[in-house]
Formats: sequence, C-alpha cells, structure tokens
Amino acid sequence: MGGAAVRAVQQIVDGLATGSIYGALALALVLAYRATGVVNFAQGQMAVVSTFVAWSLTRSGLGVILAVAVAIAISLVFGAAVERLVIRRFERESPLIAVVVTVGLLVFLNGLSALIWGFDIKPFPPIFSTDTVRVGGVAVAIAALGSIAVLVAVVLALHVLMMRTRLGLALRAVADNPDSSALSGLPVGHLLMVGWGLAAGLGALAGCLVASKIYLDPNMLAGVLVYALAAAILGGMDSPLGAVVAAWIIGVTENLAGTYIGFVGNDLRVAVPLSLIVLVLLLRPQGLFGQREVVRV
Amino acid sequence: MNPRLPRLGALGLVAAVIVLGVAPLSATPYTNLQIALVASYGVAVLGLNLVSGYAGQISLGQSAFFGLGGYAGAIATARGGWPAPLSFLLACLLPAVVGLLIAIPAVRLRGHALAILTLALPLIGVPLAKRYAGLTGGSEGLSAPMAQPPAWSGLDYDQWAYYVVLSVAAVLFLLARNALTGRLGRALSVIRENEVVAASMGISPRRYKALAFTMAAAYGGAGGWLFVYAIGFISPLELDLLLSVSLLSVMIVGGMGSVLGSILGGALYVYIPVVAGTVSPVRTTLLYGAILLLVLFFAPGGLAKAIHRLGHWLGPWLDRVWPRRNGGPPEPGTAATRSEGSVSSMR
Amino acid sequence: MPSLLEVAGLTAGYQRSQVLHGIDFEVAEGTVTALLGANGAGKTTTLRAISGTVWRRGTARLDGRDLSRLRPDQVARLGIAHVPQGRGTLRRLSTAENLMVGALRRRDRSGVTADLERCYNLFPRLAQRGRAAAGSLSGGEQQMLAIGRAIMSRPRLLLLDEPSLGLAPQVTQEVFRVLAQLRVEWGLTMLLVEQSVLAALDLADNALVLETGRVVLRGASTALAATDEIRSAYLGT
Repeated sequence: MGGAAVRAVQQIVDGLATGSIYGALALALVLAYRATGVVNFAQGQMAVVSTFVAWSLTRSGLGVILAVAVAIAISLVFGAAVERLVIRRFERESPLIAVVVTVGLLVFLNGLSALIWGFDIKPFPPIFSTDTVRVGGVAVAIAALGSIAVLVAVVLALHVLMMRTRLGLALRAVADNPDSSALSGLPVGHLLMVGWGLAAGLGALAGCLVASKIYLDPNMLAGVLVYALAAAILGGMDSPLGAVVAAWIIGVTENLAGTYIGFVGNDLRVAVPLSLIVLVLLLRPQGLFGQREVVRV
Repeated sequence: MNPRLPRLGALGLVAAVIVLGVAPLSATPYTNLQIALVASYGVAVLGLNLVSGYAGQISLGQSAFFGLGGYAGAIATARGGWPAPLSFLLACLLPAVVGLLIAIPAVRLRGHALAILTLALPLIGVPLAKRYAGLTGGSEGLSAPMAQPPAWSGLDYDQWAYYVVLSVAAVLFLLARNALTGRLGRALSVIRENEVVAASMGISPRRYKALAFTMAAAYGGAGGWLFVYAIGFISPLELDLLLSVSLLSVMIVGGMGSVLGSILGGALYVYIPVVAGTVSPVRTTLLYGAILLLVLFFAPGGLAKAIHRLGHWLGPWLDRVWPRRNGGPPEPGTAATRSEGSVSSMR
Repeated sequence: MPSLLEVAGLTAGYQRSQVLHGIDFEVAEGTVTALLGANGAGKTTTLRAISGTVWRRGTARLDGRDLSRLRPDQVARLGIAHVPQGRGTLRRLSTAENLMVGALRRRDRSGVTADLERCYNLFPRLAQRGRAAAGSLSGGEQQMLAIGRAIMSRPRLLLLDEPSLGLAPQVTQEVFRVLAQLRVEWGLTMLLVEQSVLAALDLADNALVLETGRVVLRGASTALAATDEIRSAYLGT
C-alpha cells in the first residue's frame, strides 16, 4: 500500500478508537436519558470520580484490569444513588431544571475530585499493550483496536440485555411509560436506579479508557463530554446504536478533517463534527436513528 | 395581594436607586466594578431568560453572543476609535444578526437538537478568536479601555463606568419588562405551554421563537459590551462554553422567566465565587456546586420565586402589625387585591 | 359469595381538590360491577384510588388486605390489573412485548406461554401485528392490547376505565364481546367504568351510580336498568 493510503487507514483506525471512547460515554448519556428523560451533564464528571477510584486501587497494588472492574462495580452503585438522591426529585419537572441540577452536580464533583485527589496530572497504567500490530501492511496500535473491541463488546452485551432479558424489557417499559408500567407491577423507582447505575458503569469504562490513553486529572472528560453529547444527539438521543454509530462517525471525520483540510487545523477540529451534526439535524431533526415525536394537544 | 406591598416595593426601589446612585462616590473601585459586572451579566442572563425562561428553549450559546458584543465594542472603540454609543449599537446588532441567522433554521428543531446547535457557537467561537490574533489579541485577550469620564463630572474611571453601565442596563431591563408584560410575553407563555394551541390561536411559534432568540442574542451582546466598558479588557474566556453553562445555571437559580431573577442571576454569578473563595479559596468549585445544588433543592423556583412567596406571607403579617385605616384585609377577588403593576411582581 | 374487594369511606382526589366524599361498596368474586355517572362524578378517581395513583383516605381491601398505603406497583402485584383511561400503551415496544410486560412479575414460564396463547385466541388481530410497534395500532387494537396485557398478569381483579372511549360503535361491541367472554371463560372479577350505559349494564351483574363523589344509586343491573332515573337520564325514555 502506498504511504498516503497507509496514513489514511491509520487515521481511520485512530478515529474509530477515539470514537469508541466518545461512544462509551454517549451510551451512558443515552441510557440515563432513556430511563429518566434527563440529559446528565455530570455523566463525564461521575466517570472521572470512578476513574480516580480505579487509580487509587492501582496505587494500592491491584492490577489495572481488576481495578477497572472494581471501579465499574462501585460506579453501578454510585449511579443508582445519584438517581435516587439527587435527580429523582426533578425528573418530572421541566427538563431545564433537571439539566441545571446535573450541572450543579458536575461542578460539585469537579471540586470534590480536586479536593480528594488534587489537580496535578496523574499517570494511569495502560490497559492494553502499547505495541503495534501489522494488519495488511499497516501498523496499527493494539490499544486502538482494543478500544474498538471493548465498545463493540459493550454494544452487543447491551443489546442482549435490553432485547432478550426480562430486566431489559422492564427497563424499556419504564423508559417508555413509567406510569403505565407501574400499573403492570413494575417497580419503577428501582428500575430507574438500575438504568442510571448502568450508565455510570459505562461512564467509568470510558473514563478509564481515556485515562489509560492520555492521563488522569479532574478536568479530563470535559471535552469528551461535548463530543459524547453531540454523538448522543446526532444518534437520536434515545437510540443506543445511533449514539455509537454517530460517535464513530464523529471520531473519524474529526481526525480526517483535522489532517487533510488545511483550514481546519488542530484548533478547529471540533468544528467538523459540529457542522456535520448541524447539517444532519437540519435535514432530520430526530437524529439519525431517533423516532419522530408526535405532539398531541 | 396586599395593595400596600406594591407601594412598599416601589418605595424600596426608590431607596435602592438612591443608594446605588450615591454609593460609587464613596465605595472602592473594586466594589464599583463588581456592581457594574452584576449589571452586565444581569443583562446577559435577561437575554437568556427571554429564550430559555420565557420561550422554553435551551440555549447554550449565550456566551458566544456576550463575547461577540464584547469584542465588537472593544475592537470598534479601542482599536477603531468609534464613539462609545456607536460601538454599543454594533455590539447589539452584530450578535442579533448572527442570532437571527441561526434562529431561522433553529426554531424548527426540538429541545436537544437546538441545544447542540447553540453549543456549536462557543465551541467554534473560542478557537476563531484565538486564531485571528491580529484582530482579537489572541488567547491573551485585548485591552480596551472604553470609559472616558468627561472633565466636567470630576469622576474617576471606575465611577463613570459604573454610572454608564448601570444606566444602560436599567434602560435595557425596562425595555425588556415592557415587552414581556405585553404581547410578546403573553405570546411566549402560550407557546411555552403548547405550541399547537398557540398556532391555532394565530400565534406563529416559529416567528416568536426566532424573535426571542434574536432579542436574546442582542441582549447577550449588550451585556458583553457593558462588560468591556466596565472592565476594559476582553479575552476568549468571555466566549467560553463554561460561561454559557454558568449563565444558564444562575438564570435558573435566580429565577426563570423573571426580570428580578435575571438581576439576581447576575449577582449570583459575580458573588458566589467571591463568597466561596473567602470561605475556602481552594474549595471554591466544590462550594459553588454545593450552593447551586442547595438552592435548587430548597428553592427550586429560583430565588425570585422565593422572594415572591415571601411577599405573600408578608402581606397578612403586615396587616396584623399595622392595620389599615379602612379596616381589615380585603376579600380575595375584589379589586383591592389585584396587583397594581408592582416592582416585586414579575410578569 | 365472598367479597373480593371492599371499599369503605373512601375519599380521594388530586393535588388540591377532593373528588370522592366517602363511598362504600363491595365487589363479589367472579362478578362484574359497573360504575356509572356523569363526567366528573368520580368514576375514574375511584379506580385510581383503588390502584393507588391518587391520594386517598379510608379503606380499600382486596381479600382482606389493606391497599391504602401501597404504591401502584405494589397494588398491581397483589393481583389488581388496572387498564387506565387512554390505554397506557407502551408505544415504542412491540405488541408482543406489551403483552409480555404484563407477565413480567410471574415466574411460571409455561403458564405464561399458555396464557399468551389464550390471549392471541381472544384477540386474533394482535397475533397478526405481533412485531409491530404498539403505537402504530389502531384505537381498538390498542384497547384489546391493554386488556390483553392486564390479563397476562392473571389478576384477581380487573379495573377497566372507559374501554369504549374514542372507539367506533362496532369496535366497542367487539370489546364488550371479549369482556363477556373473559367473564365467562376466565371467571374474571371486574370493576368497570363506562360512559356507554347500555353496554355496561348489559355486561355487569351489579352497578353503582356516582354523583359528585357519592354513591346515589346501587343495585343489580337489571333492576337499575328498569328504574326511572336511569331510563330518563341515560336512555332518554
């Protein structure tokens, strides 16, 4: 393969890998949204706290994979607690107020992480091997392939959970119509907690992937949150598959445009996915995979 | 409602005007600056209230308009030598035009899609400002002293800036209040409740939402201009998404859909970091978040609504402590209980 | 026959208004009772008070068990299936999934499969549209689906709120035919709120008439159908 083609493939793979991280957080946003109708601006910051917990566990001797697993398990409880204690009160009210509550939570958790762990940058042990592997003549980082593989696995697992298990059916029923589901005997409150717990778990995964790729500090997911939010909305806000596909598209186009379109350069890279989203939303307001809402009087 | 409350409110307003009018002469420049900043952010929050509080649309782009107005004022006056009133006009019109261009497609979108569209503004604005450093001063910002106290006033820079900013802000607030208590406000209320019903009443949701968005942008720009006038400096931080999110937060905490709430929002934005900083400089973010959450949990209608409710409680108490001449509190529903366009009532 | 449902001194209402002012009645097992009355009389509120979706005071007992402090999902788990006004269709789930939601609390898989079969026999149209999103079904089909979902939980008591609402007369007939079948074949106890007085009295064993939150008339439906009040108020004779 020629040099330019090789570079292009590498850019695409890199884009998919970055997109996988956006996708994990986007999935978290979508899960939380489907459960309670609230866009959780604090999703990234909750993930940061979980990642710090994983970091602390590695510092006390645990292997990185085990530490991440434990951190994810803890975040399941964390997410459930946040839904029950912080968000529950505001779920039925106007979305704006609930959103601001999540913003307040974001700021609070940001301060809390800085308080407990400090603002200085911390190195996070790598989750995947740092080697590269040759695929069809192109050198590709194992870490990149690993991120993509993790996201694919998560999407499949989520699909099985949602579509083939009783818990998944219950979660979807509550997301569709909580009052009607209660009349069928479903414990709505508990199911909402499960939804947010899963979302927090996904966020923790995303946080650990980012940290192992770059580094760990209280503000590390602020930028990623924007991309994740964009991906979730582009995908249609209530479609997990849509969020992941959108995230991959965003990751790849951002990478390619940043490299190949001179005007964009490095600082305006974010303009690319945003323009894409704007275009799609203008032509298809419900997002790529979302369902059109019918508003009844 | 006790008819004495509006009169008390008016009295309070007069007192406040007097205090505010005299204070800068003896207060420190720092305090004057802070109050001027409260006014400028208050105007920005008022703009945001127009589109989010009244029309019910989520806008994350207010900081872009704020920054655009600020840069327009700074570049026009400090670099281009334009007289201040002219640069103010530019600071309002430029964001308004941008706002209108965005509003036209945006009003077709539903809540979250609109949020993303407005999100794009600061995200693209900040890198642009940094990139065209020749014009904007880049990441270091632009120093732009605009206030020029005339010789006859004998005022210092900060005092003159204070008076100008507060007067302009006051006019803007009055204009907004008139618009909101009139046809625009009523139309927006109906639209916020149910767009389909509004359309059937002959109120075009798209047109009014576009109007609200454009006005919000203009007010954002005005706020930015006032900011630069007060502080003499602008940087890409004033365009940042963080400012948009903060404005949204203090708008809700101050009181959504409320003119008083907008002023409170501006005050919250300026003073919470100060208060949190004095308590513990290291933990300001933590305290800021805690304060936000506490207010939302215990006074979810915002501070303005809490004050409003205080008024309801205050009325009967006042009657007991200080009975009126024509004997006894009036019956509900009579003319005496209709509010008389008081300052402390919001709409 | 023993009473399955006992209601005594029940008051209930919404946020700031009280709609029911102390009603008493009993529903015997295996019978159908109709709740009649003008709009705003409190019929829907009565059902909601039993299933726990509005505030209530007084007594409501299922088989002697007190319902007054339970959440709606807890009431449902005791064996009361409430088909709400407007059907409560889970629009984005498929027709089959809607039915399965009704059976989510059950543990007997073979029983569930058998009941699903019986459901499809009762409502053949639902079998045809099994995979379709439930929101795309017609009004009549959604009503059938709502009833199907309710009976999938093998309830002891079925609460039905205005099953004929918004449906064409022909479809209403079909719905009531199914209800009659349920009564006979499944021995289901039902409490039915209906505007369509004729159809209701035809199906029910007993009836109650509510007016501004109080019971003003009660008795066997055949007797009630013959009274002057009913005839003039509802049947125009």
